[in-house]
Amino acid sequence: MNYLSVSDVSKVYSRRGDHIHALDHVSLEAEFGEFICLLGGSGCGKSTLLNIIAGLDQPTEGRILIHGKPSFGCHPDTTVVFQEHGLFPWMSVQKNIEFNLKARGVPAAKRREISAGLIETVGLLGFDKKYPHELSGGMRQRVGIARALATSPKMLLMDEPFGALDAQTRTTMQRELLRIWQAHKATVVFVTHSIEEAVFLADRIVVMTPRPGRIGSIIDVKLPRPRDPTSQDFNDIVRVALEKLHLPGVAHAA
Amino acid sequence: MRSLRQIALGLSPLVVLLVVWQLATYSSTYSNVLLPRPIEVWEVFAKSWPTLLHHTATSLARVLIGLGLAFVTAVPLGLLIGRFRPIEETLDWTIQIFRCLPGIALIPLAILFFGIGDKPAIMLIWFSSFWPLVITTIFGVKNVERTLLKVSQAAMASNMLVFKDVILPSALPSILTGLRLSAGAGWLTLVSAEMIAVKSGLGYMIMYAQVLFKADEVLAGIILIGLVGLAFDQAIRLLRQWLCRWQEGLVLES
Repeated sequence: MNYLSVSDVSKVYSRRGDHIHALDHVSLEAEFGEFICLLGGSGCGKSTLLNIIAGLDQPTEGRILIHGKPSFGCHPDTTVVFQEHGLFPWMSVQKNIEFNLKARGVPAAKRREISAGLIETVGLLGFDKKYPHELSGGMRQRVGIARALATSPKMLLMDEPFGALDAQTRTTMQRELLRIWQAHKATVVFVTHSIEEAVFLADRIVVMTPRPGRIGSIIDVKLPRPRDPTSQDFNDIVRVALEKLHLPGVAHAA
Repeated sequence: MRSLRQIALGLSPLVVLLVVWQLATYSSTYSNVLLPRPIEVWEVFAKSWPTLLHHTATSLARVLIGLGLAFVTAVPLGLLIGRFRPIEETLDWTIQIFRCLPGIALIPLAILFFGIGDKPAIMLIWFSSFWPLVITTIFGVKNVERTLLKVSQAAMASNMLVFKDVILPSALPSILTGLRLSAGAGWLTLVSAEMIAVKSGLGYMIMYAQVLFKADEVLAGIILIGLVGLAFDQAIRLLRQWLCRWQEGLVLES
């Protein structure tokens, strides 16, 4: 059985009489442990879809099923990593990581034990007492990931988590994420507008097209990991993705 | 901590004022009875400091009680108004009306309802410091970063935890700015109230000294009011620096 089903989901925003179709009859399935990338330019509804899967936003039509059961609102087995990292500036690294556990009423001693382990996992040993503003962009996102992992989620939703990072940090973080994902088996839905990032990370790339937001096509990426972004096979998939995104000029040139 | 240079700069206008005062006494535009020399006022401090201390302590106690009452009532109300739209819609006009009423204008009513003594004074301080605190608290709550609320929602945090760990710390800098404004407003109202409705405190002392033509005591009272006001403000600033130390490096020092 599929772990996640997005079943015929539409989202219409109404603003002063205008109706904006952010999502138009989108359906998608993901198996447990699968790494899915939602790829598309701005306005294609990829973040809206992620928010709906997360339960942070409600669909106008259709529904989300998790493990075969319809899910309304946020789900205890799902956690989200946000683009702007969403760390609490008044909490230390450790307290930030423990927040989701605290929200679930996990006792303090147990929280400490889990956060200590995660601080090591994401490579932040010795930074547990620092505040977010004392960390670099990459380190902040490591904290964001650690916080999302704290509750041992079955599904990890990531909204352009590395979008604000410089190219080098980004590459490092992608590798780290794959390492963590392989260790903590979970379904990952990862939103990005970077084709290379999608090809590097995903088992399947869901290409979305804008106005209205729809799924254009789905690309299976069967390359073994770790993937080499300079290889021929990698670039063949990048080219396919480019064509599917209907980027004008590029498709014709190829 | 302030450097010597800052202390010298901060004191310089006061020294100038002192010199101008001294010079003004030489010009003998007013008789010495109306405008005593600085040294005469100093003698009041030196001679009758127990009385001055008693009146200052009385006033200070009233302000602390009134301000404390305002804090424990205004902050929770502001948190609720800022968080829940219907509450705001219900109370907005009322707040806008009441916050425009000067506490001093309510002195006659306070005397009618609470008689003469501590009660009317404390109620007036509470009233004047309540509104600035409510308004800055609402402002603080509304400025909570939206991502952080999403993080809390995704973590399925209870309303209580969101208030305690997210909204309150986020609004705290704004609340403490409100406390500074409130302390100022409360102190102002208190002195006025003591001139009419109470038989002790610095306001009463000044009024009484005026009746007896003791200009030196009037001036001593005025100086004390100013000094206590300054001390109050500095104390709240220190409190803010300590409580909001996570902000260091995030914002310019105010």
